[in-house]
Amino acid sequence: MKNIIINIAKYTLVVLMIVSCGEWEYSVPEVSPGLKNDCINHSLGPNVVGQYIEFAYAMAIKPEEGKLTTATVEASIAGAEGTYLDHKSYYTNGSGVNVGIEVGNASTTSGNKTTVTFTADTCAATLRYYYKIPEEARGKDVSFTFSASASNGEKVQYEMGPYKVREMDLKLDLIAKDGSTCYISIADMAVYDASAATSNPERIDLIYLHRSVPGVTFNHSIVSPTSEAQYKPGLELPPGLKNRSKLIKAWNIQDRQLARMQYGVFVDDVDLKNMNFNGAPDYIINMRPESGLWVETENGKYKAYIFINKADNAKKEITFSVKRLQVN
Amino acid sequence: MKKYILLFLTMTSFLVLATECADYPIDEDGLLITDRAECYVSNFDLLGTDFQTVRTAAPAIDTTAQTINIEVFFGTDLKNLYPQFTLAQDAKLDPKITGKEDFSDLTNPKKWTVISGNRKVRKTYTVYVSVQQPS
Repeated sequence: MKNIIINIAKYTLVVLMIVSCGEWEYSVPEVSPGLKNDCINHSLGPNVVGQYIEFAYAMAIKPEEGKLTTATVEASIAGAEGTYLDHKSYYTNGSGVNVGIEVGNASTTSGNKTTVTFTADTCAATLRYYYKIPEEARGKDVSFTFSASASNGEKVQYEMGPYKVREMDLKLDLIAKDGSTCYISIADMAVYDASAATSNPERIDLIYLHRSVPGVTFNHSIVSPTSEAQYKPGLELPPGLKNRSKLIKAWNIQDRQLARMQYGVFVDDVDLKNMNFNGAPDYIINMRPESGLWVETENGKYKAYIFINKADNAKKEITFSVKRLQVN
Repeated sequence: MKKYILLFLTMTSFLVLATECADYPIDEDGLLITDRAECYVSNFDLLGTDFQTVRTAAPAIDTTAQTINIEVFFGTDLKNLYPQFTLAQDAKLDPKITGKEDFSDLTNPKKWTVISGNRKVRKTYTVYVSVQQPS
């Protein structure tokens, strides 16, 4: 009896193995007929006026059904000058480099619509769309309708958005130099020399200086015109400068849009809006590359985040980038 | 022999369980009140608003005089500093540190009391801050 049970178990096991090891034939999935499309938003972080929102728009049709004729993007608010739909379709080569193949004429923009007309005999392409955010979109939502047409008369479209455009402003790579263009205006997001500062003293919020003070680490510093003399040694202020900006030192906030580095950190409207400057000082000394500072102007009109991109000891200058929000 | 081994194992298990399950009381902060009487500060630091240390060197901690002397960099914003204490095991600090502290009044140094794990020993430390000066 025992042997019979063991034999049954053995046979069952063999049968199970045969069944479970059945070979499954792979076949290429059958594509349903018709023109298809898809889209992804390629950009990260807050959408700021003057910056780009990037998309990749893919479209394809079976070769026997036709070929691509046009690709169009319609934005709910017309893009600023510099908005375009790339007329190249990209692939990544063996070295990991994106290589573009021209598939159509350079895009043309008319009002809200940007169009590429295909010249290559192609049935599949992915085009990149770069929407430069215009001033009119500040604080508003913007959406996009991507559409494609094929030679057989078929049309498809894909809706993207809405995307909120922030209230803030952004300015990249301003250079402040000790003893010359060292007067910084948050209101203008610009740097001035002494004569320009004298003409518009009410617009100067900060002063950059570089000093080597024995016994302490002073180096690159940013101070308000009102800061104590010990924090601006040897500096003769142009007449009329009297703004007391409040400053908070920051580290490890390498905002991706300002730093253009690998970090996934973004300063957004809400960060600037909620920053509390109660009891903040009016000076910061020893600023280093990749450090930052939060600023509130004397009149409380602006809050800003300044990121130090570069600090050159020999030239006594810094390169910095700014995000600024008008709060009042 | 087998019987003795079994008995030994049972007793050991019982002892381990009894030790593990020692029921310590909990204080008003939800922290365990233990048997430890050690009560001291083993390290101290001050961080700026950028959460980087502002001290120029290791602080001088005198556990007998119950003082901490720390020098900070020239230009440190003394009104907005985050103190960081390292204490003896199971000890706690009073008052609690919940955010930034103002150290700008150098003539009236700030004080914190360390309370031991058994909550029976209290030692008040005075923090003296000095600012590095140009030479």
